[in-house]
Amino acid sequence: MNIAEKMSVRDKLNILSDAAKYDVACTSSGTSRSGDGSGMGNCEQSGICHSFSADGRCISLLKVLFTNECVFDCKYCVNRASNDVPRASFTPDEVCTLVMEFYRRNYIEGLFLSSGVMKNPSYTMELIYATLHKLRTECNFQGYIHVKAIPGASQELIAKVGFLADRMSVNLELPTAEGLKLLAPHKTRKSILTPMRLVQNRALENKQEIAVYRNAPRFVPAGQSTQMIIGATPESDYQIMNVAESLYQKFDLKRVFYSAFIHINDDKNLPAKRGEGPPLLREHRLYQADWLLRYYEFEAAELLSEENPNFNVLLDPKCNWALKHLECFPVEVNRADYHTLLRVPGIGYKSASRIVKARRLGTLDFPDLKKMGVVLKRALYFLTCSGKMMYPTRIEEDYITRNLLDVKEKLPGGIAGMSYKQLSLFDDMNFRKEQFIIHEGMKKAPIERMLG
Amino acid sequence: MSRMKKVFICNDNVTSIFSAVYDAWKEERDEGSVGIVLRGNMEQELFCEYIESKEYEKKAIAVERMIQRNLGLDVYLDIYQAVLAHDKDKGNAILGTLLAARQLPDSTKIMNHLSHPSVEKVFELSRRVGGEAHQFKGFLRFRELENGVLFAQIEPKSQVLTCIAGHFSDRLPLENFMIYDRSHKMFVVHEARHQWVLVLDEEADMEKMNRVSASQIEYERLWKGFCESISIKERENLLLQRQNLPLRYRKNVVEFGQ
Repeated sequence: MNIAEKMSVRDKLNILSDAAKYDVACTSSGTSRSGDGSGMGNCEQSGICHSFSADGRCISLLKVLFTNECVFDCKYCVNRASNDVPRASFTPDEVCTLVMEFYRRNYIEGLFLSSGVMKNPSYTMELIYATLHKLRTECNFQGYIHVKAIPGASQELIAKVGFLADRMSVNLELPTAEGLKLLAPHKTRKSILTPMRLVQNRALENKQEIAVYRNAPRFVPAGQSTQMIIGATPESDYQIMNVAESLYQKFDLKRVFYSAFIHINDDKNLPAKRGEGPPLLREHRLYQADWLLRYYEFEAAELLSEENPNFNVLLDPKCNWALKHLECFPVEVNRADYHTLLRVPGIGYKSASRIVKARRLGTLDFPDLKKMGVVLKRALYFLTCSGKMMYPTRIEEDYITRNLLDVKEKLPGGIAGMSYKQLSLFDDMNFRKEQFIIHEGMKKAPIERMLG
Repeated sequence: MSRMKKVFICNDNVTSIFSAVYDAWKEERDEGSVGIVLRGNMEQELFCEYIESKEYEKKAIAVERMIQRNLGLDVYLDIYQAVLAHDKDKGNAILGTLLAARQLPDSTKIMNHLSHPSVEKVFELSRRVGGEAHQFKGFLRFRELENGVLFAQIEPKSQVLTCIAGHFSDRLPLENFMIYDRSHKMFVVHEARHQWVLVLDEEADMEKMNRVSASQIEYERLWKGFCESISIKERENLLLQRQNLPLRYRKNVVEFGQ
């Protein structure tokens, strides 16, 4: 503690942003709010990215911990009590000054404030509350604030903080209770789900308050989110998607974030370090499937099953689903309803709604689809325009799979460049070799190329 | 051919393009026999009559009202953004869209008519300009000058200043700030508690603009440090960083400067 007091703001920022970097959600979306002319700041519904760091992730908020002192000892966490790392704590004033000065220079969209657990959860939450209160009332800051609810903090405090923040999140940390018990001994499923439920109920009440009194204060208007670590424990993708689905359905979450496990600590309960880097492709597949749940009316059970519990490495989840359901295709663009269009690989939810609107004014053909943002090289096997397919193709699983594999999937930046050595990772994720679709009679070359 | 095609020549700014739309509209012709080109982008065609369109504020306002009243504010926004785009054929696309709207029973639905080439083009241009404006809402950086004024310089392809001025005025109502569009030599100037104004054909005196306050240097250092420490080494992916933040946007962004 003595060290912390002598430290310059720059050193603190360095330590406490470094310690916060493993938190995933840096989004500033979900709230739309104009400034009231008396202070600083507003919010855009879509959120705004202000920069991108060298790992390609968006920098939207000043993402810092209030303190990295922590009495908890979660095995995977860099700030765990048993780690010997430099510790620091901000004061509420320091956080406020940083936010205001960064914001007016347009570096950031707002603040993401998380914290290690100092003394006890309620004490920490009190400090967070003091910071946000100062920022909102004294500095009159009207930009975006994302805050972490500390599991175990008093309900009253969490509710108070919720009226100052735009989004609140409680980290689920690990997909299953067993994993949590193993790796985060100070947290329990209950201590995590309790604040989550609290935020959900309070937000629901708030909706009614706002319906009656238009100017009632808003409680986490951008909703709540959570994140879980992928690959530290042996859950399958199927289990993870089921957890995500029930979080969306039962807790009204806005987003679930997935964070590829990164080896920071050595611990007998963590997977052995093998030098292959975090499972980014797996994380990417989970995000793709997450979108299918939220925007494309899919259910987890349609994408995966007990027998087939992990995503295909070579194909995105939607293509993979379509190939297993060829009886639903081809779909006639000029007639199929919106829900059916959503299920066609290569058609996004935006282009689907454009199609539905545009065809009221005229018949659509393939070039029109292309201009609306449909990815034809994927969609062409599943579509007809006025009864005609784009090219003569066969509606056969092997044939389409082969062709889809020939078209290189656009993966975010280097995931493709990272080569499929990544695959070795999935070996202990009980990926079966057969799953990499080696059918008889298929052109082997592209698959072999990808498998390296 | 009964009549020669008439093509109106205009400058690349909102007033001038809308003035040309006004002139072309008055001809009461269909899309094939009337057009608009930007000065400097003319490829002379045969059997065309070229006419200089006179730029008048009044004509532009009439066109603006006509679009807002008949096609609605959403369509107006798309057309307005298309006018700002960096594109040499935008005049014809805009005119074509307006003429096509006249054929529809409900003209406000014109932007759904994506199988029409002009509408599709306006849609595309508007999306591009809107996208670029959105990017600059994030990637623009203010520097605090010695006198406390915030100054930002951007180099966009499209004339996005009027698309972002309202955003920053709402966000920073108590600040004096200026945004300079170096590509098109124009400014947005916002005085604390006042409406913003657009200043055309004005170059920035960079010597003045480089005299920043002492705290500016310190906050730049803090910010650069933050951008480095927030990145996860194990996930480093410069290609993805470049996909998300293309090099052309980095010119005036402090964390990418030396």
